[in-house]
Amino acid sequence: MLSRLVLIGPAAAVVLLLATPVAGLVARAAGVGGLPAALGDPAVRGAFALTVACATAATLVGALLGVPTGYLLARHDFPAKRWIEGLIELPVVIPHPVAGIAILLVCGRATPLGAVLARRGLAVVGTPLGIVTVMLFVGLPFVVTSAREGFALIDPRLEAMARTLGVGPLGAAVRVALPVAARPIAAGAVLMWARAVSEFGAIAIVSYNPQVASVLVYDRFTSYGLAGALPPAALLVGLALAVLVALRGLARPAVAR
Amino acid sequence: MIVLDDVTAVRGDFVLEPVALAVPAGAQLALLGASGAGKTTLLEAVAGLLPARGRVCIGGRDVSREPPERRGVGLVTQDALLFPHLDVAANVGFGLPRAARAPAVEAAARLTGCTHLLARRTPALSGGERRRVALARAVARRPAALLLDEPLAGLETPVRRDIAADLRTLAGRLGAALIHVTHDLEAALATADLLGVLDAGRLIQLGPPAEVCQHPVSPAVAALVGTENVIAGEIRAEGAAGAPPFPARLRAGRIELRGLATREGPGHAALRAEDVTLAPARTASSAQNQLTGVVTDLAPSGPLVRVGLDVLGVRLVALVTRESAAALGLAPGITVYAHVKAAAVHFL
Repeated sequence: MLSRLVLIGPAAAVVLLLATPVAGLVARAAGVGGLPAALGDPAVRGAFALTVACATAATLVGALLGVPTGYLLARHDFPAKRWIEGLIELPVVIPHPVAGIAILLVCGRATPLGAVLARRGLAVVGTPLGIVTVMLFVGLPFVVTSAREGFALIDPRLEAMARTLGVGPLGAAVRVALPVAARPIAAGAVLMWARAVSEFGAIAIVSYNPQVASVLVYDRFTSYGLAGALPPAALLVGLALAVLVALRGLARPAVAR
Repeated sequence: MIVLDDVTAVRGDFVLEPVALAVPAGAQLALLGASGAGKTTLLEAVAGLLPARGRVCIGGRDVSREPPERRGVGLVTQDALLFPHLDVAANVGFGLPRAARAPAVEAAARLTGCTHLLARRTPALSGGERRRVALARAVARRPAALLLDEPLAGLETPVRRDIAADLRTLAGRLGAALIHVTHDLEAALATADLLGVLDAGRLIQLGPPAEVCQHPVSPAVAALVGTENVIAGEIRAEGAAGAPPFPARLRAGRIELRGLATREGPGHAALRAEDVTLAPARTASSAQNQLTGVVTDLAPSGPLVRVGLDVLGVRLVALVTRESAAALGLAPGITVYAHVKAAAVHFL
């Protein structure tokens, strides 16, 4: 009983710490009204749709690139591995506007790469592609790190066993390591998606328009004050919470036949 | 059939010295060795999971350059290594073509006695059940070679006996050559047609189990095959040394043991504890070795008692029934007479 109380105390503090500002925001938003209006606002709906679409696309691309990278880092040693691991985790620690500036310096219209991409219809600045690029940049560390940790926990002999059963190395990784590590990988993908939805600083620099939800909330705040920003902000919190809870449910392990 | 021609492998600092052996289809080779002797290394080299030199032939095919998935081996490890995300049926059918999966799974489960487990989830299985499922998975593809790494280790005695009984006939029923590595003599003898002994990366003896147990080639082999009395001393021929084996005596401290030797000089006498008989008094006996000893310790071992003796400063162990121990009134400090036939003394 005592040990349970010892655990409940910190947990309650965590919940209070996180829930109080969010609840305050939602309550204030309900107080000022405008939630139904915000739901019907085409700009708000467009920004939310763009946020979800870009975050989902970035997460899918992130998983496609990050899971094999995590596997490589978990299973193999090679020169400069620590440097590469550090590089992969760098976006977590650099300030978001700095990440935006870095992307702009590589993919901006005036840069050689940006010019080439623009000529091919793949302009990064001020486009959904730019938003996805930023989200990928800031979110990749989560999926790579989760995948690496997930694969590292799996006994490599499981894959060796799969190989004696007629499956090649790629098949063993895909049919054994990947499903066994599915839970941490899914957790990493959820974190990446959440990180993408919450991104503001870098997106505001690379693609202020079209507006994602975070930029729209900021834009409404600077243009209309708190009353204008609160309804879309509350909607953003609600959407994020609903999606996170749903994805956590999906990430539970299952036994297949 | 499994044929190994000078197969060597390296794992870290450990080197597996060239191993040459052949296991016919339907036969079982038990490889006995202490931890770190190279048993698992050898199996992994055969399975292709560890880079190896030399020639590995399985089912008449040279697979030395083939990856594990093309070698035609089935592997069972001590910890079973079942795929935790799949249920038992999916584990057994892993790697099989979809069309052949259901009948192959059914047949493998029947062969290994785990049909009743097919619908179960793997985390819910007991140790013995996991071992049976791992066995079913290994045989489902009808491999030409079956490699078992300590398949009976850590199991409760009844389960262990059940699985050992199945293993005894498995190679024959499957038509596969089977290599079973273990550090446990009882497990090795329970299933083997051939017995090999690995020590420090070297295959130091290979032959029929009775031959290896009765005539170990070194003290290390003697210890592994359960010969409890290995006595160091000087071997001298009785009379002129003839063609080996010749009658000889080994002097160790103040005692002498008679037996058959193949050479003279420093060596060891190996005699099994069950070949030492005890008597309360010096009696007429055909045994050429009659020694007087003082009981130092008694250790019950099931229906038997292991009796430690001090024979003029040399330790000797005898194995007698509980009834004999009681009839002789054995207790520490009691003087007894130990008889050993010369034929039971093997000079190394």
